[in-house]
Amino acid sequence: MKWLELVTVGGATLVAAVTVVVLYSLGVRLTAIAGDAEQASPRLKRSLAYACFGFCGLAVLFGLYLIIPYFSS
Amino acid sequence: MVALVIALALFFDFTNGFHDTANAMATPIATGAIKPKTAVTLAAVLNLVGAFLSTEVAKTVSGGIIKEGTDGVQITPEIIFAGLMGAILWNMITWLKGLPSSSSHALFGGLIGAAIAGIGFNSINLETLLQKVILPAIFAPLIAGIVAYICTRLAYALTARHDPETGSKLTQRRGGFRTGQIFTSSLVALAHGTNDAQKTMGIITLVLIAAGTQAPGSGPQFWVIAACALAIAVGTYSGGWRIIRTMGSGLTEVKPAQGFAAETSTASAILASSHLGFALSTTQVASGSVIGSGMGRKGTTVRWSMVGKIAIGWLFTLPAAGIVGALTALLVKTGVVGVVIAAVAGTAAVLFMFFYSRKSHVGHHNAVEVEEAGQAVRFAKKKALARARARANDQKDAQR
Repeated sequence: MKWLELVTVGGATLVAAVTVVVLYSLGVRLTAIAGDAEQASPRLKRSLAYACFGFCGLAVLFGLYLIIPYFSS
Repeated sequence: MVALVIALALFFDFTNGFHDTANAMATPIATGAIKPKTAVTLAAVLNLVGAFLSTEVAKTVSGGIIKEGTDGVQITPEIIFAGLMGAILWNMITWLKGLPSSSSHALFGGLIGAAIAGIGFNSINLETLLQKVILPAIFAPLIAGIVAYICTRLAYALTARHDPETGSKLTQRRGGFRTGQIFTSSLVALAHGTNDAQKTMGIITLVLIAAGTQAPGSGPQFWVIAACALAIAVGTYSGGWRIIRTMGSGLTEVKPAQGFAAETSTASAILASSHLGFALSTTQVASGSVIGSGMGRKGTTVRWSMVGKIAIGWLFTLPAAGIVGALTALLVKTGVVGVVIAAVAGTAAVLFMFFYSRKSHVGHHNAVEVEEAGQAVRFAKKKALARARARANDQKDAQR
């Protein structure tokens, strides 16, 4: 039985999904804070939010890079 | 015969496409992130791209369930023909019922039934069947469901905003997730292309090898890849609106953050599984994610009666497609006349179901009731509240 592979798949799924969701959620939250009226440094918050979205996109691209055999060969 | 099987395989690919559009696009359509027509177009294009990206899965499609090779039995194009017939008919029936069921299971079921009827029970490798089909069927929705549950919880916890002094809820501003959904659902469509188009490629390659036109052990040829990619893309574009309705609003009510979490889990589960060698069914993963995310958001109810219906559909997939496959295999055994009868009967059944479906038309216009109306009302409410507050302040000022 391939229990080890099952655990690997489950673990990889969890790690990948949580990474993407956490980064994106942080981005959404920071955007929300930056939009608040009484905010000391909205520009900093906003750029932080964009950084989060950027890292999230990078994580996805890295995943695709791992998967497409054209790159890994 | 070979040409007939290839045509049938491509048609199976087409049904696979429109059966599984829902996996990627049901949730963004339900939350209004993407317009229905745009969604299916996007999914079709990404399926096309995905089918070209990786042909890893194609090599291991039926691998091992039917004992093939030198010491086992010879798979003939006739068996594959019968198996495909079973798979296609079951796909059409479940589509008519709006049930998201696994196309790969239908394919496996059809092939198994055909092999049993055409060759005998000893042609089936039970251990591989358990390992490749039955266990993944249990674990796919489980893994996806748990991951989606955790992700939904995280997404809501991270974006929950409360006023630090009063503790009352601030405007949550989770609109960003709606944009995010466009990307995550695209990823699911891409994953579907890398996964499901491969199955048909594997089948056609199997037929070509069996017919002796291609060297054993070689990968799919370019025209096979291109034809399969096109067939699944066209299938996706035609959109299985009935299943989209079930996935988008039948299981649970979907909100953007929740849909985002569900799609991310689906995409990671499919991509992880198909590249770490434990193939999971796209449909089962997607359904599991939607249910899991529904449980993760407070104030949602999962419609368990619908879940039960889908589960029963899954239980029946393998045997039902198997029975059709077996019957077709018996017919085909009788010779050319049998093949013709089977082909005509199959076409007639598909056409009948198509025209039957026309009676109660479910299209992009009415698949899912998008909650735009509800939002309009909510916005109006907020404005009304603000106006009321302003008026109260004015009155206070006047009193002073």
